[in-house]
Amino acid sequence: ENREAMLNSKSNRLTEALEEANRLFDGVCRAREAALDAQFLVIASNIGKEKANELHSEMSAFDSTAFAEDLLTFMGINRTEVEDSDDSEDVPGGFLPSDAWQTMGEEAPKYFRRAPTFHYMMGSFKSEPPVRKQRIERQKKASRGKAERAMPAQLKKMEESHQEATEKEVERILRILQTHFENDPDTPISFFDFVIDPNSFARTVENVFHVSFLTRDGLAKIMLDEDELPIIEPIKPSEGEEEDSRAGARNQVVITLDQKEWK
Amino acid sequence: QVSELVQFLLVKDQKKIPIKRADMLKNIIREYRNTYSEIVRRADRTLQQVRKTRKKGKWGRFWEGLTILFPQVFGLQLVEIDTKRHIYILINNLPRAEGQHLCRGKEKEKMGLLLVILSFIFMKGNSVKDSDATILLLLLRKQHSVFGDVKKLVTEEFVRQKYLETTPIPLTDPPEFKYQWGPRAEKETSKKDVLNFVAKMQGKDPTFWASQYNEAEADN
Repeated sequence: ENREAMLNSKSNRLTEALEEANRLFDGVCRAREAALDAQFLVIASNIGKEKANELHSEMSAFDSTAFAEDLLTFMGINRTEVEDSDDSEDVPGGFLPSDAWQTMGEEAPKYFRRAPTFHYMMGSFKSEPPVRKQRIERQKKASRGKAERAMPAQLKKMEESHQEATEKEVERILRILQTHFENDPDTPISFFDFVIDPNSFARTVENVFHVSFLTRDGLAKIMLDEDELPIIEPIKPSEGEEEDSRAGARNQVVITLDQKEWK
Repeated sequence: QVSELVQFLLVKDQKKIPIKRADMLKNIIREYRNTYSEIVRRADRTLQQVRKTRKKGKWGRFWEGLTILFPQVFGLQLVEIDTKRHIYILINNLPRAEGQHLCRGKEKEKMGLLLVILSFIFMKGNSVKDSDATILLLLLRKQHSVFGDVKKLVTEEFVRQKYLETTPIPLTDPPEFKYQWGPRAEKETSKKDVLNFVAKMQGKDPTFWASQYNEAEADN
């Protein structure tokens, strides 16, 4: 009787306990779900935000595939009907000519303000004329051949010794100057004629740069002629010993030569 | 007498690696004791802000003189890309000229590739994940003969030259990287220029991409 009662009550209590547990469990479940919901919402909104951002930045949608195809067209792709088994992986439906990137390379510098890099003995230029210094009016006797670039094989190693390269180039220019002066010592050499390369502004700047070494080292002098235009002349080694050559040596002249003027 | 420093700078610039002021100091400064005062004088004269320049001290004024000298003599600009560590690059002061650039070896082709990458990055919102760039890599795989190791060129050379900047994306495993314009790209070109390139390639007006266009205009 007691036991029964006890058992009953126990079972009741158990049931109650179970029921309560259920309720609690339910509650917990819902809470967990709610938590999950919340999390999901947060995640979802983050994703949504990202998507929204993406959409915003791609508001003006940029189609990379279309861009890539247009680039290929610009670079001269030859489109083929039948896909080459070699090419089909890399360039679907066509192949690029070997000068594809040269084509791009012609276009690209227009968009950059890149300082021209100063390299010496540029053997890699096939398309450039070999003449570095152009003589026009004043020294008609000068032969163009003298200014041809010499391309000994060892110059390819110049990458490693820039200093040497400058020195060699300066030496070469001095020899050219001396030769021309010896050919006709009475006709002054126009500085501009000496340094300007009508085909390349960058080359002109380089020439000015190299000539500056000659004047710095007292191997050449620049003077103004009667028209107030600069002329250049090599200095004989014996001259350098004279006293007054030292006194007059240190003059700085700034000449601006922008591309418009150069043209 | 400034020609030695100039030579140093130009030679350093050949590889387009930015130049540290400390390096210049180390190598050159003692040579310039004579011309130092001349350069300082030039700085003071040109800047005409005597009080301001005096505050900078001797080195500052010397430096200003040089930065004035460069455009005047060479049409080149010395630009500081890292003001804390005083690192510089040389850029062209003159407007871009068509076909006048004397580039050696593969420089032009590399610039072509770089332009394509910079365009891609800008048009995609100034930052791309390396995984996004697969379409470009697909395009380029064929041209190993031109660029050699394309990945190395892009992830190492262009980054070292400060054309590109790469930063790891946190919490990615395996680690992913994102690519953005580097400080040299920002100085040597502009969003506007790059947008014009894209527009030219696609035969459209730059205003076709409204948000990029607005961003490019605001960049001025």
